[in-house]
Amino acid sequence: MKLLLVEDEPALRTTLMEYLRQSGYVCEVAGSYEQALEKVKLYEYDCVVLDLTLPDGNGLDILRALKADGSRAGVLIISARAALDDRLAGLDLGADDYLTKPFHLAELNSRLRAIIRRRQFQGSHHIAFRDLLVWPEQAEVFVREQPLTLTRKEYDLLLFLLANPNRVLTKEAIAEHLCGDAVDSADSFDFIYTHLKNLRKKLQEKGADNYIRTMYGVGYKLSTD
Amino acid sequence: MKLLAKTNRYYLLLTTVLFALAGVALYYGLYAALRSEVEEQLSNARLHLERRAAAGRPLPETPFEYQLSVSPVPRPLGYRDTLLLDAEEQEMVPFRQLTFRLPVQGQPRWVTLRKSLVETDDVLGVVLSVLLAVLGLLLLGVVGLNRWLTRRLWAPFRHTLHTLRHYGVQENRVLMFPPVSTDEFAELNDELTRLSQRLVADYEAMREFTANAAHETQTPLAIMQAKLEQMLQLPELENPALATLATDLYQATLRLSRLHQALTLLSKIENRQFAETAPLHLARLLREKAQQLQPLLDARNLTLTLDLAAEPAALHLHPGLADSLVHNLLQNAVKHSVRGGTIAVHLTSLALVISNTGPAISGDPARFFERFQKHEAASASPGLGLSIVQQIGRYYGFAVSYDFSPTNSCHTLRVAF
Repeated sequence: MKLLLVEDEPALRTTLMEYLRQSGYVCEVAGSYEQALEKVKLYEYDCVVLDLTLPDGNGLDILRALKADGSRAGVLIISARAALDDRLAGLDLGADDYLTKPFHLAELNSRLRAIIRRRQFQGSHHIAFRDLLVWPEQAEVFVREQPLTLTRKEYDLLLFLLANPNRVLTKEAIAEHLCGDAVDSADSFDFIYTHLKNLRKKLQEKGADNYIRTMYGVGYKLSTD
Repeated sequence: MKLLAKTNRYYLLLTTVLFALAGVALYYGLYAALRSEVEEQLSNARLHLERRAAAGRPLPETPFEYQLSVSPVPRPLGYRDTLLLDAEEQEMVPFRQLTFRLPVQGQPRWVTLRKSLVETDDVLGVVLSVLLAVLGLLLLGVVGLNRWLTRRLWAPFRHTLHTLRHYGVQENRVLMFPPVSTDEFAELNDELTRLSQRLVADYEAMREFTANAAHETQTPLAIMQAKLEQMLQLPELENPALATLATDLYQATLRLSRLHQALTLLSKIENRQFAETAPLHLARLLREKAQQLQPLLDARNLTLTLDLAAEPAALHLHPGLADSLVHNLLQNAVKHSVRGGTIAVHLTSLALVISNTGPAISGDPARFFERFQKHEAASASPGLGLSIVQQIGRYYGFAVSYDFSPTNSCHTLRVAF
């Protein structure tokens, strides 16, 4: 899967690029409006990760150019501006999703996967992981062909883990993913623990043991072995 | 009170005092002139009588004995005031009399001449009524004139006022006024135009600064957070000592970024950068937010009851601020609830009331709305939630109040629309 990352801040660009490459994407980068515009005109991407505030132009114009060309690429906007107007303008112009800086890398990956899934496979896509088989459009989960019944939050949690296999997901990233907004009290991590415990138990009952590893004090990881 | 009404008041006060003084002066002046005239007449009559007596003729007879009385017994001499009964009017009438000794045909006689003075009451009456009539006319004239002036002369001023009332800095435009012929108003309008030009420039600069500061701070924070997340993936982080260090750093970064977001929001509200509004469906928003918080509620074993009886009609808010308001109120209730407690949300057309059970909090309730006020000093939250609630309330003119009832240990936050 081929991505274009448009981000003017070099340090952030490098980190994001490394992370996206590790996650299995083919990732190209653009550091300015000019570069980004040139790249979207020349090449086809599956998804463009777009920073709105660029030194030499507005990211929204790149989005406009993409839409004007009838590009099939998905667009995920990232911006430091928490302004709702920007977000709405972006979504109105046809962006698929919006992330406000700073974001968790795992969250970025999870959103990218959802966009690509929606755009490329139109529901016929499934995620296979070890003995797990998930049909995201139908929200169905199977362990060795046996259906697994999960609550809404447990399912969201599993999907989030599946989007980032073999990566440590911090408690904060999981909490934000599940609760939508910043959760700022320390003991609010209790609920992640509860949901994880239940999810683990359900997986274990179907024979999928030791899938989720606890990284002490940091978070959790979906283990590939 | 209107400026003209105020000036009128002083004018009227001054006129009344002047009129009173004029009344007194007029009264005594008239009175004194009258007396001296009467005395002059009496003295002339005396000279006439003396010449007549010296010529050896008898004193004339008069049909009005009160005007001239002659007595063979001595009387006090000189001018005197006296009152005589007027038989026709049945009242006492003031007279001025002059008594002198006059030898008439060798016999000493005491002659008294009298002349009527105008009645004091009559003089006073005339003076007062004339003055009051003039005062009344003046009053009517001033009021009428001012009405006309207010309509005519002050029209440009009221236009300026109207323009100002509907002017907001965030509109980002310079105030323009139609030309005025009155110098003072023209000057005022010029100054206002210049002021608005400066305001627009300052506001623009401040907005740019806030946006830049937010962008410039947010980016390093995003880098820190991303790098730390990458660092947490390293196999070396299996070492608990390193893991603790990295996690602490990571959490501190998250706290900083949350703080940054809250402060940026507060300063944006203060700078009134949320001009656009949309109709708000508060009940729907509350339901959504409650749904989002459900896992948190479950984890802390809290019961949330939503009583959305009626929705305030025609509430227009910036969607972002509405979201922030509801989020912070609910978050606050969750944070300060005891495990197993209850949170009650009550929405009517007049107010949104959110109450939660929790231990009594020491300190001045008014300070709960101040920035960086938190119940537990060690808490990870920056203590800006209620400040944001209050700022949003202030922005839209909602009254936000806090109340604690010790009987059922219930904290209540009330937002009255």
